[in-house]
Amino acid sequence: MSGNASALSGNPSSGAKGVLLDAVDVSKSVQGPEGQLDILTAVSLQVREGESFAIVGASGSGKTTLLGLLAGLDTPSSGHIALDGNALERIDEEARADLRRRLVGFVFQSFHLLPALTAEENVMLPLELEGRDDARARAREALEAVELSARRRHYPAQLSGGEQQRVAIARAFVHSPRLLFADEPTGNLDQRTGQHVSDLLFSLNHDHRTTLILVTHDPKLAARCARQITLDSGRVVLAPRAPAVAP
Amino acid sequence: MRLLTLSLRSLRREWHLPELRTLGASLVLAVVALGVVATLAARMERGVLASAAELIGGDIGISSPQTLPANFAAQARDRGLQVTDGASFPSVAFAHEQSQLLDVLATDNAYPLRGSMELARGSGTVVGHGPAPGTVYLDHRALVALNLKVGDSVQLGGRDLRIGAELVRLPDGGELVAMAPRALMNIGDAEQAGLLGVGSRARHRLLVAGQPSPVQSWRAWVEAQTLPQGAELITPEQTQERMRSAFDRASAFLRLTALLSALLAGVAIALAAQRYARRKTNEVALLRALGTPRRQVLGLLVGTLGLLAVPSVLAGGLIALGLAQLTWSFASQLFAAIPTTMPLGPAVAAAVMGLAVLAGFALPPLARLAEVPPVAVFRESAARRVRRFDALYLVPALVALVLIWSQSGSAKLAGILAVSLVGVAVVAALLSALMLWIARRVAPGAHPALRLGLAALARRRGMSLLQATALSLGLVALLLLAIVAPALLQGWRSELPADTPNWFVLNLQDDQRDGFQQALARSGGEKLNMLPLAVGKLTAINDQPIDQMHFKDERAKDWSDRQLRLSWAAELPPSNEVIAGQWHGDHPAQAEVSIDTMWRDMYGLKVGDMMRFNVGEGSIDARVGSIRKVDWTSFRVNFFLVFDPAHAASLPHTWIASFYLPRGHTESLAQLSREYSNLSLIDVDAMLDRVREIVNQVSGAVRWVLGFSLLAGALVLAAALASSAQERRHEAALLRTLGARRTQLRMAAACEFALLGLVAGLTAAFGAAGTGMWLGHAIFHIEHFVPPLGALLLAALAAAIVVMLLGLAGTARVSRTSPMRLLRES
Repeated sequence: MSGNASALSGNPSSGAKGVLLDAVDVSKSVQGPEGQLDILTAVSLQVREGESFAIVGASGSGKTTLLGLLAGLDTPSSGHIALDGNALERIDEEARADLRRRLVGFVFQSFHLLPALTAEENVMLPLELEGRDDARARAREALEAVELSARRRHYPAQLSGGEQQRVAIARAFVHSPRLLFADEPTGNLDQRTGQHVSDLLFSLNHDHRTTLILVTHDPKLAARCARQITLDSGRVVLAPRAPAVAP
Repeated sequence: MRLLTLSLRSLRREWHLPELRTLGASLVLAVVALGVVATLAARMERGVLASAAELIGGDIGISSPQTLPANFAAQARDRGLQVTDGASFPSVAFAHEQSQLLDVLATDNAYPLRGSMELARGSGTVVGHGPAPGTVYLDHRALVALNLKVGDSVQLGGRDLRIGAELVRLPDGGELVAMAPRALMNIGDAEQAGLLGVGSRARHRLLVAGQPSPVQSWRAWVEAQTLPQGAELITPEQTQERMRSAFDRASAFLRLTALLSALLAGVAIALAAQRYARRKTNEVALLRALGTPRRQVLGLLVGTLGLLAVPSVLAGGLIALGLAQLTWSFASQLFAAIPTTMPLGPAVAAAVMGLAVLAGFALPPLARLAEVPPVAVFRESAARRVRRFDALYLVPALVALVLIWSQSGSAKLAGILAVSLVGVAVVAALLSALMLWIARRVAPGAHPALRLGLAALARRRGMSLLQATALSLGLVALLLLAIVAPALLQGWRSELPADTPNWFVLNLQDDQRDGFQQALARSGGEKLNMLPLAVGKLTAINDQPIDQMHFKDERAKDWSDRQLRLSWAAELPPSNEVIAGQWHGDHPAQAEVSIDTMWRDMYGLKVGDMMRFNVGEGSIDARVGSIRKVDWTSFRVNFFLVFDPAHAASLPHTWIASFYLPRGHTESLAQLSREYSNLSLIDVDAMLDRVREIVNQVSGAVRWVLGFSLLAGALVLAAALASSAQERRHEAALLRTLGARRTQLRMAAACEFALLGLVAGLTAAFGAAGTGMWLGHAIFHIEHFVPPLGALLLAALAAAIVVMLLGLAGTARVSRTSPMRLLRES
């Protein structure tokens, strides 16, 4: 079944019109103490501009590894991934960093805010990396969008889990990325706060026409995405609900 | 027992942590530095005392105006000690119808027991002992004055004695007591000639030598006896005050070096312990949440550190002993004649001090760690709220103070170092706070790399302050050792330049001054310095006759019985400092005398007191105008009592002069001696050589110990970097995920570390210069010491570059951190 993932997700020809992310036969294996360990096996998928896409699966199914590969944080052992037409396995880490800076935003399960920075300074980080002069003003706008203006001078330790994740979302959207990766964005939050954060994520996704790729084991959250795949032991076991690209 | 097992297991699991290794290495280093120096200093002290023994010709002795009872020698022999009997007295020798007053030493054949006596026979120089009956040894000046040569006869004490050899050097040849040419004769001859009988001016001397413990036992026995009137112990300690003072300065240098190394190690330990504590916070919170009592948590932490400390201090102690032995075997030619056993006490003391450093510097963060509440498992911020133990941070400061106090052996040195280091720490903290404040303000408009670097500094505000302060303290210690200490040593050495006066002349008459000056210039003598010298006795203080007064100080009676050397000068002599009253100048209204501090203490004198002296037929009444501190180590001619020239110049006087004559000019000196046969010429080369040897030896040792300090400095830097490494890695991973280029991270790190290094370097350079000047003036008594500012500033820049490079090297791994780390940490 998993071997047919590419057939299920349609023709993965790179550079197809509207396709922002294209993965073909992506495998990842590492050398473990007891020999080679296959984490992902022949995963193929395509995501179009503006789409929302969920990767679901149990713990240890390879979701996070796949997310890392799609975002260019790591390289596959075999296979091919193209981000906005750029073959990730053919460019070096520096060029991938450039792509990420221009195109990608991240939201993590454990927020990953820098503890020594205020909420505002955390949001400013991606803009500072681009060397933009309007970093502070745009960070304030982003915080306003997540309704945290009043807490912009607070440090992460002074914020609740939900507030920290909202700051992380503001940071993810502040430089208007075309593609947002979210790794279990509500995993560390209670149901109500999780609902609030996911509402925020989807509404920003809609407003900014950002493509959203979401890793989750929460079926409700996955169901809010236009499409989803399920991973089991590194293989795609369930096809997307609807074909992404017409054959 | 269970706690011990748990601690052992914990240490085994955590041994791979860099901070624990830093802790261990710092501790080993602290013990090694303290141990090597203390062991060497203890051995050197024994060596110096032993070589002082060489200079008196025995380990210890008694000098007495009367013959000593026989039991003094018998008690020494009973203890297995060697004994030599002797006496010194002035006597006139006759030959070829010429006469010359000689300073005669009569000894038995055992003399000298320590050191060596050099004799010239024929063309060579041999090492010899006291002369056989019927034989006498005369020194060059005596031979020249009496127009004699070896093999001739000379009449001494009414007996004809054969000149067996020319006396080249007596063990105590360097003493300034030889007023006249010297002769060495057999004590049996002297007794038979009646030179030692009642009424003679002989001073008897019994010297003993042997193993340290019987010598000590004999000394204790002697001290329990009632000595004959006027008799006194001759000890190596008192005999060579100048050697002693050279040694004291030497050990002050060494101890300073060791101390700074230990403090550096302490800073490294503090940083590593703090890092360890932070890493353990979650674990402790978990243990507490699982119901482990606070006491057990603390026990586990202390146990782990204790198990790390025991092998570390043992290793440190052993390495210290090994290195001390190695150094000693290289340096021992200085004290070749006297083997000294390796003292173990200092190494043990160093190990104890090492433990104190560990406890003092590592305790505060660990004690705080035990206070982490169980709720911190849910909320990390809860762990940060523990404020109760802030006072504990006084502990390392106290340990540092105690360490400085115990190691420096001087309250003054301790005070200067403590104040300087605290000053440097405060200035470093203030400067870095200022830098951070500026960083916050200039960052938005700065170059992106600089902006990121400044942002990184500002982000870790507390850590940046701590790192800058620790680096400054580390660097100030290093600069003190690497630049200031050698400059101080150089300053000290230049106080004893190769052309330091090495001859003293006594008995020069007014009408001989010009002629002598010209004759000396022809002989190649230089740096002639003449001072008037009158001989007188103190007769009254404030109109009260001195023999009716009573003084607590035993020396007072002795000095009022003596003929005193008096001089006068219009200018304050070099190496003299007026500490009370006013220097009299050339013409005060009434006669004034300036006294040395020893006289003030002996007689309880103060400015304004009146003193009367008998000089020749007349007397002089002088008011105490000032009190001086005299540097008796300066090898200049100095006097306890200096009058104003206007009132004293008419006193009957001769002149005392010092000059430098290059070695190998003895022939021209013999000529001078013949021309001016009334003069006494005294050679001080032997003592100068000894002091120079010590200075050189110490310079070598300081450079050697400096190696440890450099290692300690590197450890501080490593610990400072390691203390923020985890945070940096996390941050780098995040920045990489957000798209930061590697060069961006490297440039930011370069800016950050260069700024940190610059702040620390500049603070340290000025701190070291200030401390050096203070130490030079107050401790090492080096006049006009100017710290090498240029070298210090260069070193500050170099420090900034080194910190930057090391910082970059240390963070190279950080910039290579895979961004995947973040996802994994989720």
